[in-house]
Amino acid sequence: MYPLNLTKEGEEVVVKCINCHCEDVCRLNELGCIEGAKGVIISNQKNVIFKVGETRLAINSDIAKSILVSSN
Amino acid sequence: MEQTPKTIALVGNPNTGKSTVFNALTGLRQKIANYPGITVERKVGTSIIGGVLHQIIDLPGAYSLNYKKLDERIAYQALIGSYEHEEKPDLVLAVVDVTNLDRNLFLVSQLLDLEIPVILVLNMMDVAEQKQITINEQILSENLGIPVISISAKKREDIERLKQFVAKAELSPPSPLAWLDSFQLRQALGKVKKEWIQPHTNIPESAQHTEALRLISEGNFEYVFYTFEEQEKGLKVIEQAREILEQAGENPMATEVLQRYDFIDRCTKDATQQNTDTSLSITDRIDSVVTHKVFGPIIFTSILLLMFQAIFSWATPFMDFIDLIFIETGNWVANALPPGILNDLLVEGVIAGLGGVVIFLPQIVFLFFFIYILEGTGYMARAAFVMDGFMTKVGLHGRSVVPLMSGFACAIPGIMAARTIENWRDRIITIMVLPFMACSARLPVYALLIAAFIPATPVLGIFTYQGITFFGLYIFGIVMALLAAAVMKWFFPSGQQTPFIMELPAYKLPKWDVVFKNVADRGWIFVKEAGKIIVAISIVLWFLASFPGVDQQEYDQNAYEGETIESYQLRNSFAGKFGQIIEPTIEPLGFDWKIGIGLLTSFAAREVMVGTLNTIYSIEGSDEDIVTLKEKLINDTDPETGQPIYSIATALSLMVFFALAMQCMSTIAIVRRETNSWKWPTAMFVYMSALAYVCSLITFQVGSNL
Ligand SMILES: Nc1nc2c(ncn2[C@@H]2O[C@H](COP(=O)(O)OP(=O)(O)OP(=O)(O)O)[C@@H](O)[C@H]2O)c(=O)[nH]1
Ligand SMILES: [Mg+2]
Repeated sequence: MYPLNLTKEGEEVVVKCINCHCEDVCRLNELGCIEGAKGVIISNQKNVIFKVGETRLAINSDIAKSILVSSN
Repeated sequence: MEQTPKTIALVGNPNTGKSTVFNALTGLRQKIANYPGITVERKVGTSIIGGVLHQIIDLPGAYSLNYKKLDERIAYQALIGSYEHEEKPDLVLAVVDVTNLDRNLFLVSQLLDLEIPVILVLNMMDVAEQKQITINEQILSENLGIPVISISAKKREDIERLKQFVAKAELSPPSPLAWLDSFQLRQALGKVKKEWIQPHTNIPESAQHTEALRLISEGNFEYVFYTFEEQEKGLKVIEQAREILEQAGENPMATEVLQRYDFIDRCTKDATQQNTDTSLSITDRIDSVVTHKVFGPIIFTSILLLMFQAIFSWATPFMDFIDLIFIETGNWVANALPPGILNDLLVEGVIAGLGGVVIFLPQIVFLFFFIYILEGTGYMARAAFVMDGFMTKVGLHGRSVVPLMSGFACAIPGIMAARTIENWRDRIITIMVLPFMACSARLPVYALLIAAFIPATPVLGIFTYQGITFFGLYIFGIVMALLAAAVMKWFFPSGQQTPFIMELPAYKLPKWDVVFKNVADRGWIFVKEAGKIIVAISIVLWFLASFPGVDQQEYDQNAYEGETIESYQLRNSFAGKFGQIIEPTIEPLGFDWKIGIGLLTSFAAREVMVGTLNTIYSIEGSDEDIVTLKEKLINDTDPETGQPIYSIATALSLMVFFALAMQCMSTIAIVRRETNSWKWPTAMFVYMSALAYVCSLITFQVGSNL
C-alpha cells in the first residue's frame, strides 16, 4: 500500500484506505472514491487527476497523500 | 400521474444536464455549461405535460444530500420543503449521467429516502451509445423500485418522450432505506431519530432519516441549521449511536456510504453492460497536457492573451460600422428636425449618449463568445485545477478561479458563482476581490481611451501596443485582485483549509446554438440595460449642460482667448459649474471637470462614463463638424492654457481609476444579498475607491513627470 501521490501516470490502482479529515472522506466517497474502487492515474504532478470509474477527480496533493492505494 | 398541477423538481449531480432538461421543458434559457456548479439558485418555470400546466424547478447540482456548500444546501432544503417556505416538490426527476451511472445513483439512493416520488432520467444516452454502454431500463426500474427512462436532453424528440412518460407514470413514494441492510445501522438510526430528532427539532418527517444519517456519519452538529437548545444531549445520543456501530466493527463514517454503493451495485449489475476499455480517452490525453505542471499555466495565460487581443482587433471593423451608423443617424435627425431644443436633445443627448455605448457591442459579444466557449468545452474546470496551488498561496481557492473568470463578463454572476466555494473565508475573500476583474462594462472606457491615446504600432508580429495595453489592464485587474486577497488573508482567522477536490467533466464540443443564443441574449441585455440608464442620464445631463444659455455679449466679455461660444457656455452651465466645484479633488489625478462629471455618473454603471462624455462633448462641438468621440478627446484643450486636456498620463490614470474603483450599484446590491449584511459591501466600496484614488494619483504624478 502506498499513497496516491506516489503513483505514476497511467498506473492502475485500487483504493485501500482513506485517511483524511472526515468531511473530505465524505466528499471523496460521494464522488465514487471509496475503499475497493478501481481507478487509473491520469496525471500526477503534485496534484493528481485520478479517474475512478467514469469520474475524473482532481485532487490536491495533501488529500492525495492520505489516500492509500495498491496496484491492481 | 393524476391530472392535477404538480411541482416537479430536477435533481442530480452537477453537470448532468438538469438545466438542459429544464430549458427544454419550460422554454426558458437557464445558463448551461460544461462544468460542475453552473446553477447556483433555485429556478422556477412551467411546462404543459399531459395537458396540465406543471411547475418545474431547476436546482443546483449536488453530489449528496449531506450538503457542504451553499448551492448544495439550496437543493437539499428545496427537497425537504424548508427553502423559503416553499412546499416540497410532488415529483422529483432525478437526472443522471448514464455514462457514470453508479456514482450518480449515490444521490438517487438518498433521494429515495425522502419519500417523494422519483422518476430516474438517464441522460446523455448519445454519449453512452458512442461508448457502447447499454442499459436495460426495465430491470433497473424493478431493482430500484422507480420508473426509469433514458434520453438525450439535446434531442427534441426525447424531451417529448420524457413528457409523455411523466404524464403516464404511476407515481408512488418509494420505500425509504431500501439500501440499508445492516441491523446495527438501522438500530443507530432509530435511536438518533427517536431520542434526538423527533423530540428536539422541527425537521420534517420525511427528512429525518437523512438528517439522522448525517449526524451519525459526521458525529457533530457543525452543519445543522435548525435552532436547538440541548446540544449536549444531542451529542450524547449521537455518541451512543456511533458506539453501536463501532461495537459491531462498523466504521460510523463509512458504513452508510459502503452500503449504498453495495445496493447500487446490486441494482445495476444485471441492468447495465459496459465495454470495459481502460485505454486513455481523448479527454485524458488532452488533460495530461493541459493540466501539466509547466504547460498548464502557460496554456492558461496564452488563452487569456489570445482572447483579449482578439476582442480588441476582431471587433474593430464592426465597431467602425456602428459608429458610422450613429453619426449618420445624428446628422440625419439634426437636418430633418427644425433647429431647437428637441433637435439638440435628441442629437446631442440621446443619440450621442447611446451611440457612445452601443459601439462597444461587438467587443462585448466577442468577450462572451470566448467565455462561453471556455465554459462549454469543459476547460474552466481545468483552469481551476491548474491554478489551485497558486490561488491557495494568495488566500483564495482553486474553486475561486471560475467565479473570477466569470467576473470578466460581469461581477454579478461571478459573485453568485462563489456559492460553490465551501469555505466561508475563501468565499468572502473571493467576493471581495472579484470586482477587480475587468468586467465588460469597463471595456468601453478602456477601448475608447486606448484607441485615442495609445499608438497602434505593431509589436512582436501579431500584437499591437493597443492590444498589449488592453491585456495589461486585464492583468492589472487580476494582479490587484490577487494582492487584495493576499492582504485580506491576514485579516481573517485562518480556519481549516478546504482541500481541492473537484470533478473534471469530459471535454465536449460546445452546443453552438446555445452559445449563439446566449451571446445574443447577453448582447441584448447590454444594450437594453446600458441603454435605459444612459438615455435617462443623457437627458438629465443634457439639460444640466445646456442651461443656462449665454448671450454673445457675455461671451465677448468673459471668454478665454480662442474659446468657442459652445465651450464657454458649457463651462458656465449647471453641470460645468458643479464639475468645477469637484475639480480640485480630482485635479491631482489629472482629471478635468468633464471627466469628473463622467466619474460621478459612472457610479451608476461604468459604461455610463462613455455616454456622459459623448453627451458633454456633443454639446461643446458645433453642429457642422460631427466627429467621433475619440477625435474630440484627442483635440480637447484647456481653454485657459490652450494645452491638450488628455495626455497619455491622464488616459492611464483614468484607466487605472476605472480598473480599481467600485463603480457599480448592482454589484453593491448583490454583495449585500449574498453576504446578508451591509458590512461587506460598505467595506468593498470604501477600500476599492480609496485604492483607486491613490493609484490614479501615483500614475498621473509619475506619468506626467517622466
Ligand atoms: N452529449 C450530451 N451532452 C449533454 C446532454 N445534456 C446536457 N449536455 C451537456 O452537459 C453539460 C451540462 O449541462 P447543464 O444542463 O448545464 O447541467 P446541470 O446539471 O444543470 O449542471 P449544474 O447546474 O452545474 O448542476 C452541458 O455542456 C450540456 O450541453 C446530452 O443529452 N448529451
Ligand atoms: Mg444547471
